[in-house]
Amino acid sequence: MAERSASYADAVAAVARAEGNLDLVSDELFRVARALEGSDELRMTLSDRQIPAARRQQIVEDLLGGHASDTTTAMVSMIVAAGRSSDLAGIAQEAVEINARDRGRSVAEVRSAVALTDDQAERLAAALSAATGHRVDIKVIVDPSVMGGVVATIGDEVIDGSVRHRLSQLRDTF
Amino acid sequence: MSKRLWAAAAVVVAAVALSASAASAAGETVGSCIFDQVTVVEELVTVDFNEIKELKKRIEDGDKEAKEAKEEIVEKYEKDLEGCVEAPNPIIPEVTEIIWGGAAFVVLLALMKWKLFPVVKNLMEQRTQRIQDAIDDADRQRAEAAEVKANYEAELADAKAEAARIVDEAREQAATVRADLQARAEADIAEMRERAAADVEASKRQAIADLQSEVSDIALGAAEAVIGRSLEDPEMQRQLVDDYIARVGADQG
Repeated sequence: MAERSASYADAVAAVARAEGNLDLVSDELFRVARALEGSDELRMTLSDRQIPAARRQQIVEDLLGGHASDTTTAMVSMIVAAGRSSDLAGIAQEAVEINARDRGRSVAEVRSAVALTDDQAERLAAALSAATGHRVDIKVIVDPSVMGGVVATIGDEVIDGSVRHRLSQLRDTF
Repeated sequence: MSKRLWAAAAVVVAAVALSASAASAAGETVGSCIFDQVTVVEELVTVDFNEIKELKKRIEDGDKEAKEAKEEIVEKYEKDLEGCVEAPNPIIPEVTEIIWGGAAFVVLLALMKWKLFPVVKNLMEQRTQRIQDAIDDADRQRAEAAEVKANYEAELADAKAEAARIVDEAREQAATVRADLQARAEADIAEMRERAAADVEASKRQAIADLQSEVSDIALGAAEAVIGRSLEDPEMQRQLVDDYIARVGADQG
């Protein structure tokens, strides 16, 4: 499945490069994936093969029309029509990483209980870049289960400073 | 034996013949005796006819003495006649009878000697042999019985000895089994005690652990409640993110 997601991501990145907006498309695709992750009803609807592909594409266009670029809308519509909406998160992650590699950067998935301010995002990107030794782009995901603090994942490395993690350590200590 | 038998037979015949000769001299038969007595009476009647006639007359006249004399004479001659009809000697037979009897005896003895005695002897020998065989057989059977008895007694003795050995062995085994069972029971009891002690200890540890877990759950629950309320404060959230950024930056430093 990861290989298939990578292939779709390569296709999306190729189209976006051709359109000259890979940075925008990868970011929007990431946000769409997060939105899908947060809505079970939307995810199930777009994954339902009983619903005609044209109907599902229409739903995507209705949701994204005016809120995302045409390239992003077309890519998401294409993925949903292909019946790969369940792979959308992986495809978006791969697209983000392709974009970062194109720019000589790494991608850090940052989960926080609340949205970060721009200042916090810049300082966190700078701190992670300094910690890993190369430039890092962050993708922030608001995740209430983190409770507080931040969990940053860069490749296989996880830097967990969340309240959830601390409570877990405290529970293990007991 | 044969000679003695013949001698005995000859002695018997001679004795009978000698003893019978005297009897034959006194008057051999009843007929000749009566004939002699009748002759005597005829002579008496002829010689003393007148006396007899006179005696008869006197009797008819009633003379008692005559009558008594007559009766005396009659009685005398009756006795003589009765003597003729009396049986000869009941023990010693007449000579002719002895001769014929002896001859018959000798013939019979010869026949018996010739035919009967060998058969009887043979039968006797066979009977003797049978009896001897029976005796020998009885002796043999008695010997066999004695041998069987001896064997039986020996086997009985062996059986008794074997039974005694088995009983002794069974007693020893019973003692061994009893000792084993006792040792095993003691080991089981000791093991059960150890296990019970271990169970008690484990239960105690489990109870302590459960208590600690429950206490920690309560404490963590309280802590989470307090933290949860604190996390509702945006400033607290901001502070947590800033602390994280500072710590990541400090790790790099």
